[in-house]
Amino acid sequence: MMPHDQDGLAALFHAGAAQASQTLAAWLGRPASMLIDRLARVSLTDAVAVLGGADAEPICGCGMQVTGALSGGLVLAATNAAGLTLADLILDRPVGCSREWGELERSAVIETANIVGCSYLNAIAAGLHGDRAGGILPSPPWFIHDYPAAVMEAAVVSQAAASETVVLAESAFRLDGVPIRCGLVFVPDQSVLDLFGATGSDRRP
Amino acid sequence: MTDLPDRMAGFHSDAIPIGEIRAARDSGLLRTFVGSCVALVLQDRRRRVAALAHVMLPAANGRHAPPGKYADTAVPEMLRLLGMLAGEPVACTAKLAGGAKMFAFGAGLPIGDQNVAALERALALVGIPITARACGGESGRRVAVDVATGVVTVEMVGRAIETL
Repeated sequence: MMPHDQDGLAALFHAGAAQASQTLAAWLGRPASMLIDRLARVSLTDAVAVLGGADAEPICGCGMQVTGALSGGLVLAATNAAGLTLADLILDRPVGCSREWGELERSAVIETANIVGCSYLNAIAAGLHGDRAGGILPSPPWFIHDYPAAVMEAAVVSQAAASETVVLAESAFRLDGVPIRCGLVFVPDQSVLDLFGATGSDRRP
Repeated sequence: MTDLPDRMAGFHSDAIPIGEIRAARDSGLLRTFVGSCVALVLQDRRRRVAALAHVMLPAANGRHAPPGKYADTAVPEMLRLLGMLAGEPVACTAKLAGGAKMFAFGAGLPIGDQNVAALERALALVGIPITARACGGESGRRVAVDVATGVVTVEMVGRAIETL
């Protein structure tokens, strides 16, 4: 499949989210899903504000850079409370048990980003390249407890030299059918968008 | 100069967007968030003017973009704005914050270090001394300039506020 329009781009990201949903459910051992919230070309300013504006509380999560069959920046972002809940679920502890970011809690979130993020992006890469897909090459995941604008700035800075806009794929998680304040943001590199022939109009389901 | 009213209002409380510059005289709060980007503050305390740029990359290399985006175009543009606010040429000092290595990837010198080095060169070219800095590390910073007092505060998650 070699899509050359926005519909093709959206279809690939939805397929990636479907694969990531299965992985997330298996990882957490409970019904869970990941849904694409928005696929849009936005200004750098808007991209930096996507996780929260000037007065937003610090977020937690994980950042990764990926190369290989698909390249770009991936951020798993959650509110502090949602991140700690996620850590409790992964560590098989009662929700509310985790109150601060120790080594165990950080590892839980990092592993979630690694496993779910790679599942998501490998599925997109397979849809993009077919049998020629060699898989993605993720950087070591990086734990984040920082201002949302600073996190997103880091995710888009590599593309800032080439363009005043970036494409964002925003997704959100549901656990047991209930939305949680946690999700993935993927910022594909220009090389990926060239393959897609993306025009980048805003797409919401 | 049609862009002057937006960029030179007397009081700014919203965060300065990525790659942009704001300047003010007498009073006001200029603030922004930076990760690998660098917040460059130019101040002329005697004339009570200050400007803050959110510098994203080292060099424009002829690209058309907001001048605050690049280290080599931000400095002359800030001096132009401050000179207009003061009504005469300004004598500035500089403070830097940011330039963190946010994600551990990529070969070569991290972009944050490149940004800081490019600003040092751009400031040296016009003879502006750097009087304080809070650069490097692996975390983002919230930077605010109180134009009336000249005090620059730098916040990082989980740390005490630093005053420059």
